[in-house]
Amino acid sequence: MSDLQGYKCPCCGGAIEFNSTAQKMKCPYCDTEFEMETLKAYDDELTSDADTSMDWHTDAIDTFSEDEEGNLGVYVCQSCGGEIVADENTAASICPFCDNPITMKSRLKGELKPEYIIPFKLDKKAAKEKFAQHLTGKKLLPRVFRDQNHIDEIKGMYVPYWLFDSKANAHMRYKATRTRHWSDSKYNYTETNYYAVIREGDLSFRNVPVDGSSKMADDLMESLEPYDFKEAVPFQSAYFAGYFADKYDVDEKQSAQRANERVRNTTEERFMRTVSGYSSVVTDGGSIQLAEGKTTYAMYPVWILNTTWNGERYMFAMNGQTGKFVGNLPVDKGLMKKYFFKMFGIVSAVVFALYTLIWFI
Amino acid sequence: MRKRIHRIQALLLTVMLMLMMFSPVGVKAEEEQRFMLDYAGLISQEQSAELETKLDELGQKYEMHFVIVTDDDSGVTSPMEYADDFFDYNGYGAGTDRSGTLLYINLSTRDWWISTRGYGITAFTDAGIQYIGEQITEYLGDGDYYEAFETYVTLCDDFVAQAKTGEPYDVGNMPKEPYPFSGILLISLAAGLIVALIYILVLRGQLKSVAPNESAADYVVKGSLHVTNSREFFLYHTLHRTVRAESSSSGGGGGSSTHRSSSGATHGGGGGKF
Repeated sequence: MSDLQGYKCPCCGGAIEFNSTAQKMKCPYCDTEFEMETLKAYDDELTSDADTSMDWHTDAIDTFSEDEEGNLGVYVCQSCGGEIVADENTAASICPFCDNPITMKSRLKGELKPEYIIPFKLDKKAAKEKFAQHLTGKKLLPRVFRDQNHIDEIKGMYVPYWLFDSKANAHMRYKATRTRHWSDSKYNYTETNYYAVIREGDLSFRNVPVDGSSKMADDLMESLEPYDFKEAVPFQSAYFAGYFADKYDVDEKQSAQRANERVRNTTEERFMRTVSGYSSVVTDGGSIQLAEGKTTYAMYPVWILNTTWNGERYMFAMNGQTGKFVGNLPVDKGLMKKYFFKMFGIVSAVVFALYTLIWFI
Repeated sequence: MRKRIHRIQALLLTVMLMLMMFSPVGVKAEEEQRFMLDYAGLISQEQSAELETKLDELGQKYEMHFVIVTDDDSGVTSPMEYADDFFDYNGYGAGTDRSGTLLYINLSTRDWWISTRGYGITAFTDAGIQYIGEQITEYLGDGDYYEAFETYVTLCDDFVAQAKTGEPYDVGNMPKEPYPFSGILLISLAAGLIVALIYILVLRGQLKSVAPNESAADYVVKGSLHVTNSREFFLYHTLHRTVRAESSSSGGGGGSSTHRSSSGATHGGGGGKF
């Protein structure tokens, strides 16, 4: 009596039905031969994959209390609907997002209070210098752009961030090969051995930031990274003096998805790195579970500058801690054509001259 | 009226035909040696006459005979022997060493052969003959026979002129291809285009500094990577074998190889298919 069981071919993925009384099995689709134990072990691995789960939990977070709100007010922009927090002494009258007038709506009360804040380390002067540096050496930048002097409108703003801590438990499976070459008098041989490689383990992450403001483009904020959390201090509303602050309008649940993606990518990449000594390695499957998830609400310093050029808005941002300046700049089509044809002409002429010279020597 | 004209025409034609039949054409041909012999009828009479003149002039210039023979006899097994014999037995060759070359084209077997004798052996080396072959087979293959023969005449002139300098075209001393202006222009423009495009892409890249950050590598706790289980197991193996490429040895000293024709004369030559 032989029991029949279906297995998946590790080579081509086809179904191998096999007779347990036989010693070696052959895939009917790709003719690869396997040891029975190999197929069993591989099948066990395949079935051990669990669904990836990534749950975060947030510690109970304080809200602003009566005495802390001090002279903080919530301002609303009539044009873009942005809500800004600023202290009343800041003669805040212009929306940092769209340069339209803002009005005070209410006093800050009952709002979620950040746990940490990284105070501004670089002042407005530094921000202006960085902006000037950002513009230099860029040949396709429209000349007008460089001349227009609106650098003064650069504003310091605390941007709300959700910070995620977690420990990623990974169970990864890779398909790896080792190749051997040799020859005899007649043939060259290439032998490829295929292995299933298993890696299990964990990796911890601390303070993976995701910005909680829908007003700030996610890619712009991610380009500003990294922030050094070591310089963060427990939040005090006094740090807001003289600066704007944004309130979160993307909650931690939504933000967690982005953090999960990034944690997952890095976990996969780090575990992949531990698979060495093979000719080739590809990820075959696996699962990553997040444990000990914790979310923190914090404020990070950003200098922002808005510019409108040819009817399009450009937003620049500087990391208020490290001075990293980012922001896409517009392309001057005229200059682009000019440089293109200049380079095209010069290179064509030089190549033509060289070719001709070589020909007649 | 009309009938009479027809009759006169018919009479004239008959007389002309009879004259042609009885006139000693063969004898005449031997007296006035012809150099363009298009037995296969590959080119028109005017073209044939033009080439005849060119070959004759070229022959007088260098005191050699340059002959072109075409044929569609499928029974020719050796174009070399045919060409050698044609040259020898029809009395071609100028001077005491009977210098000359003969280009033989067989349309049936699609062979070409260049037979050389006397100074022709010196001027047309094996490598040189192959070079000429490459140039003319381009036209022969397309059926442009007149262009092929014209090219041949031009090359003969070039080859003998070069041989007179004491260094005939040979391995390592082949004629220069004509300057390929349009080809070089095209390459230059393509190079310019590619470089200019890369340059513009780089310049555009300078203006972009915003991109999503897909990694969380900056936030990994140092030394927190623990691998608790690390193993591999063998799945299967594949074996491929390929036949080793045999190293081919190539000789090639240059010069002209010679052989003896049926008349006992020494000939050089070379040929191929088109």
